[in-house]
Amino acid sequence: MSSITLTSSDGVDISVERTTAERSVLIKNMLEDLGDSGEAIPIPNVNEAVLKKVIECDDDDNRRKTTDIDEWDQKFMQVDQEMLFEIILAANYLDIKALLDVGCKTVANMIKGKSPEEIRKTFNIQNDFTPEEEDQIRRENEWAEDR
Amino acid sequence: MRFQPYRHPKNILKRTSKSESTPTRMHRLREAGRCSSAAPSETSGSTSPERAADDDTDFFMAQANDSQSSIGVANFRDSRLSSEPSEPLPPIGRLPPEILIAIFSKLVAPLDMLNSMLVCRGWAANSVGILWHRPTCNTWANVRSVTTSLGKPDSLFNYADLIKRLNLSALSDDVSDGTILSFNQCKRIERLTLTSCKNLTDKGVSDLVEGNRHLQALDVSDLRHLTDHTLATVSRDCPRLQGLNITGCSKVTDDALLVVSQKCRQIKRLKLNGVSNVSDRAIQSFAENCPSILEIDLHDCKLVTSASVTPLLTTLRHLRELRLAHCTELDDSAFLSLPPQVTFDSLRILDLTACENVRDDSVERIVRAAPRLRNLVLAKCRFITDRSVMAICRLGKNLHYVHLGHCSNITDSAVINLVKSCNRIRYIDLACCNLLTDRSVQQLATLPKLRRIGLVKCQAITDQSILALARPKIGHHPSVSSLERVHLSYCVQLRMKGIHALLNSCPRLTHLSLTGVQEFLRENLTAFCREAPPEFTQQQRDVFCVFSGDGVKRLRDHLNRHEPQFQEEAEATMYDDDEELDEDEGQMTGLMNATVINDGDDDYIDVGPLNT
Repeated sequence: MSSITLTSSDGVDISVERTTAERSVLIKNMLEDLGDSGEAIPIPNVNEAVLKKVIECDDDDNRRKTTDIDEWDQKFMQVDQEMLFEIILAANYLDIKALLDVGCKTVANMIKGKSPEEIRKTFNIQNDFTPEEEDQIRRENEWAEDR
Repeated sequence: MRFQPYRHPKNILKRTSKSESTPTRMHRLREAGRCSSAAPSETSGSTSPERAADDDTDFFMAQANDSQSSIGVANFRDSRLSSEPSEPLPPIGRLPPEILIAIFSKLVAPLDMLNSMLVCRGWAANSVGILWHRPTCNTWANVRSVTTSLGKPDSLFNYADLIKRLNLSALSDDVSDGTILSFNQCKRIERLTLTSCKNLTDKGVSDLVEGNRHLQALDVSDLRHLTDHTLATVSRDCPRLQGLNITGCSKVTDDALLVVSQKCRQIKRLKLNGVSNVSDRAIQSFAENCPSILEIDLHDCKLVTSASVTPLLTTLRHLRELRLAHCTELDDSAFLSLPPQVTFDSLRILDLTACENVRDDSVERIVRAAPRLRNLVLAKCRFITDRSVMAICRLGKNLHYVHLGHCSNITDSAVINLVKSCNRIRYIDLACCNLLTDRSVQQLATLPKLRRIGLVKCQAITDQSILALARPKIGHHPSVSSLERVHLSYCVQLRMKGIHALLNSCPRLTHLSLTGVQEFLRENLTAFCREAPPEFTQQQRDVFCVFSGDGVKRLRDHLNRHEPQFQEEAEATMYDDDEELDEDEGQMTGLMNATVINDGDDDYIDVGPLNT
């Protein structure tokens, strides 16, 4: 089992099994392009903490075949919002579809069943609508309130 | 799904400056919606939402990956429309629009999408396309709300351009040309489903489709008023059409279909069930001009002959599904004139129901030419014999579904060989094969994956057969029956003992038909039966006996309470759901859903003269 080295954006070298790293389409393509030079691969958009977390998930990637978020995923995603969005961005950048999917589902689950105000609170988002605009959106999308 | 690489999230969740006047801002929202859906290349193709679970259930929807429709995106990426945020972004503000859209795509309930729209302007722009991708038109109130917004000249977004899927089939008879007039401005619809909206005419449908160059799938089944006029519009304006279902549009003629075949050359799925005017000329033209065809259904197209079938098979290299049920003109020449040495490795489903003139020679040729057939329907090909069954044996583990109902020449030895050769059979129908005895069923009972078995009117079989079906399969783990649907109507020798054992050893059983079996026509048992169809005569009602869904469970409970003497020792109610999945299982289900095969079909004996 060969391993390779990734260098995070904050300059930390992390050793990881090649098969694990290749779950990232980006890294896989890089390895194919570079050949097996043994040199560390720079990951300029992902810092050490996030990269380690992403690798932790990758180790168990083969388990995620179901469509719903399973227990393991839920536990994995029990991180603060900052970390959650960092993981999603890293998954997007590294092109790891399964992880991106779980990340997006986690955020979607945080939205489900909440009112607009509750959603704003959850994510600390400022309401930049005028009351008239809000009204208009409600009126024009009345059909969506049907259950 | 692949997104754009990480990008600095400069342009999202920005706040507009306080000085701006409301009308201008509204104008901008609407503009934003317009401008991005007019230039969708950056995101739309790659961010198709995964909404399969709750999707429409029309013919085309069941397909997995091809012809996915794109999402309309409306956002503020045009820098003219943005201003820098005056305060620091919250963490979620770092997510680029592509990812926000991917998140919103995971929402299922329209209400959750609407609530997301109401969060802030940035979210509105990125979620409106997902909400309007497929507006819910299942009630009149909803249709009214949708069309009112479409008709507003000063609406916040240009909703008409965001609709990619429109399905009015839930309203069926109530939909008129006037109803769909309100959707005429929606020229970006990719999937249009008007199944059984019987009152629609050429005027309504043609106007709706006119000028829509995005249309990929059109389902107008049972719109009996439609004529060549609608198809002429489709041929002229919809070059990207991939799916066409005109089941039951009996006024459509060969001429219109000929033009469709020449203009809509990306067609993949074609259903012409009951379009009785269609002839070899049009079908041959499809074979010649539309190389992407995957599925073609010519059910009951009586004018179609062998002269169509040979070119369909030889020129359509991707053909997966060929349905020719009740094409009674077909004969052996359709298959015997196939070029030798050529195999059709893509063909998975072949339905030759009631093609009586297809005989053993054809079946032998078909199996040689299409070694990967998974579903083979030869019901009512009444002249075929054991020779055909022996040929089918060569399909080996590829064969999952085989229908030999009314092929009454078939004997036990052929069935026994079939089971030994094709042990992955999940569905088998041998209705009216009245030479068959318990020997056949005892062998069938060893099939480890058997889910449905049809033995209607196999009058020689006895409880020995049923006890064999009830017995756990040796060497198969988990050793519990996979049987779900069992059709035993008019197997007049059956008694309580066998059925009781079957009920107790088949925890997955959801359908059990025993119409005409005297032992079960007792009031205390028929109490758990489902209702006979309304069109049944009294005579048919008297013998009707079908248990389904909860009825099966209630029958089992009842027998266990009141007839305990029949209870088997080997009671198995626990079972393991982690059964290995076959490679193609998912795809298979998709195909089956997309076809006319449904639960009603395998009961055709039960429903008496209706389908015969």
